[in-house]
Amino acid sequence: MKPLLEVSSLSKSFQVKGPLGTGRKQLLAVDQVSLHLHQGETLGLVGESGCGKSTTGKLILRLIEPDSGSIRFDGSELSGMSQRQLRPLRREMQMVFQDPFSSLNPRLKVGELIAEPLQIHRLAKGAQLRSETIRLLKTVGLGEEHLDRLPHEFSGGQRQRIGIARALAVKPKLIVADEPVSALDLSIQAQVINLMRDIQQEFELTYLFIAHDLAVVQHISNRVAVMYLGRIVELAATDTIYRAPRHPYTEALLNAVPVPKPGKTRRPPLAGEIPSPLEPPSGCHFHPRCPYAKQVCREQRPELVDIGSGHLSACHFHAEVGRFRRS
Amino acid sequence: MTPLLEVRNLKTFFFTDGGITKAVGGIDFSIHLGETLALVGESGCGKSMTALSLLRLVPSPGRIVEGEILFKGDDLLRLPPIEMQRIRGNRIAMIFQEPMTSLNPVFRVGDQIAEVLQLHRGLNQGAIAEQTIELLHQVGIPEPELRSRDYPHQLSGGMRQRVVIAMALAGKPQLLIADEPTTALDVTIQAQIMDLLDRLRTERSMATLLISHDLGIVAENADKVAIMYAGLIVESATTEELFNHPLHPYTEGLLACVPKLGEEKKRLAPIPGQVPSAANLPAGCSFRERCPYAFSPCSKKQPSLQETSPGHFVRCWKYQ
Ligand SMILES: Nc1ncnc2c1ncn2[C@@H]1O[C@H](COP(=O)(O)OP(=O)(O)OP(=O)(O)O)[C@@H](O)[C@H]1O
Ligand SMILES: Nc1ncnc2c1ncn2[C@@H]1O[C@H](COP(=O)(O)OP(=O)(O)OP(=O)(O)O)[C@@H](O)[C@H]1O
Ligand SMILES: [Mg+2]
Ligand SMILES: [Mg+2]
Repeated sequence: MKPLLEVSSLSKSFQVKGPLGTGRKQLLAVDQVSLHLHQGETLGLVGESGCGKSTTGKLILRLIEPDSGSIRFDGSELSGMSQRQLRPLRREMQMVFQDPFSSLNPRLKVGELIAEPLQIHRLAKGAQLRSETIRLLKTVGLGEEHLDRLPHEFSGGQRQRIGIARALAVKPKLIVADEPVSALDLSIQAQVINLMRDIQQEFELTYLFIAHDLAVVQHISNRVAVMYLGRIVELAATDTIYRAPRHPYTEALLNAVPVPKPGKTRRPPLAGEIPSPLEPPSGCHFHPRCPYAKQVCREQRPELVDIGSGHLSACHFHAEVGRFRRS
Repeated sequence: MTPLLEVRNLKTFFFTDGGITKAVGGIDFSIHLGETLALVGESGCGKSMTALSLLRLVPSPGRIVEGEILFKGDDLLRLPPIEMQRIRGNRIAMIFQEPMTSLNPVFRVGDQIAEVLQLHRGLNQGAIAEQTIELLHQVGIPEPELRSRDYPHQLSGGMRQRVVIAMALAGKPQLLIADEPTTALDVTIQAQIMDLLDRLRTERSMATLLISHDLGIVAENADKVAIMYAGLIVESATTEELFNHPLHPYTEGLLACVPKLGEEKKRLAPIPGQVPSAANLPAGCSFRERCPYAFSPCSKKQPSLQETSPGHFVRCWKYQ
């Protein structure tokens, strides 16, 4: 079966100005990212803040232009398409944005915000538009009484759910969900995750689920990709990656998860300085913070390779990883 | 010892065409120097409005209708606006839940931090520049010299959140209100930020009101926890006590729906039902409709907060 989405060697860099406003620098935000998604599947995308997750999501939906690489969606090549050619595909691909505050038009009432995509894509009108809008509000745990409220009248978590309802409205094939539940409290997080799984089953929806909460990602994803400084460093089936990570960064991430038990035994943060994407370390970007690093890691970029049954890792010493795992 | 902050019977309501929303329905709590109190509760239960009330920044049509907010003995609700302004950002600082609300999109992030330093610390230009970079460095922004020249949209979500944290710390506050300070951050940076806050707490005896839905963060960082539901505190205790002996059915439910790492992939168990709309609270206990233990008294009257063991308070008919 052909994947619904196939991304290969996607790259994007931004220009950043130097300290005195002179001398531009290149910031390689996304560095040759390849991944695919089958219909009905969820791929979790995790990684350090600033490693390029949101940029990857936006590139896939062509909300920003890639420098190079290809994006095949449902049989069409998206890179190179004009925005006009893209328009009919827009309905099939939706994004839930990370920052609900800046992604909702502050002048529209909630009812209008949710009805808007239905109207743009001519999916409902009149009484049906209203009932569909209310149904969507209810699926995300809000109700009819919220229809006439403006976004600023809601709490942070409530706004995030409005964003989710908007994305669901047009029944897309692919949803890029950028930290969709990070702003939500646990019970609603659980509700939204259950909801996302239910509609996934019902409509064979496909998700690229961006998050930094490993426990949440584990719950919803079939496979997980781990990013570090613009590159995918590990990609494997969810159970595998949690049970036996094969990249030292993934291992460090798993070690750092806080546990809901009191006692003030904070885990030591990952050693070393957070490197700059403006001047990433040579060879393997992770080497200055890696307990397994040897000379070769400073010199050679490890390729992302299949180390057995579809488990991809970009580490020269992937076979050794696991020694520092704490439980 | 008198607490640094003492909140008494705080009520903050929204007056809309649709009626009155009791966002904060009469709450009490206190924080001592060097102490961290975590405020936990379902989305929309009034955590952010509690925080904004402390700074007198409740947006209209919201208004503080009752209560006292004693900061070092002075009632903040009685201070003239000009004095309140001096306290804000200086002695009490806040990390806002949504970073973009406190960042100005048309200014470089470095200049925005510098402004706080200038306003509250009266440093000279050179010292300001140096401090700005140092603060960005402390919150884990790589190459702070370069990054301080970026506009907010050029930073990732988590970097923006860290800039806001740097801004809040710039004024050397005695009380830090941190509204979901690490939600946009991955675990390793989260750990680094929490370490930084912990250091400030020992070095400067900084007190913290920590709002978070991440019970892992709460367990590791708070001394005391207050659980909020529909505008009221329904349980409060020391962190140990609360996690080991939760009493309120809502707290119990909350602890049960944490997704745990390494757990079987099964359906999560959210608390059934929805938080009642604050505009339309049912009579009696606001949690009653979702409560597995509800019995006849629950529908009649809101239970009061009872001390069941020293320092452990719960608002539930089971314990009246
Ligand atoms: N401008 C407003 N007008 C009317 N109601 C409002 C307004 N702002 C907030 N509210 C209501 O006040 C209640 C409390 O909101 P608050 O922002 O304090 O919630 P919260 O506990 O911080 O939630 P979250 O975890 O989602 O951030 C909510 O029910 C919200 O809908
Ligand atoms: N418009 C832009 N101009 C310059 N740099 C940018 C721009 N957008 C993103 N970047 C940079 O690209 C890098 C990746 O950003 P991105 O938003 O993709 O990170 P992220 O993985 O989503 O992080 P987070 O978890 O913090 O949201 C960051 O260093 C960011 O500063
Ligand atoms: Mg992001
Ligand atoms: Mg809030």
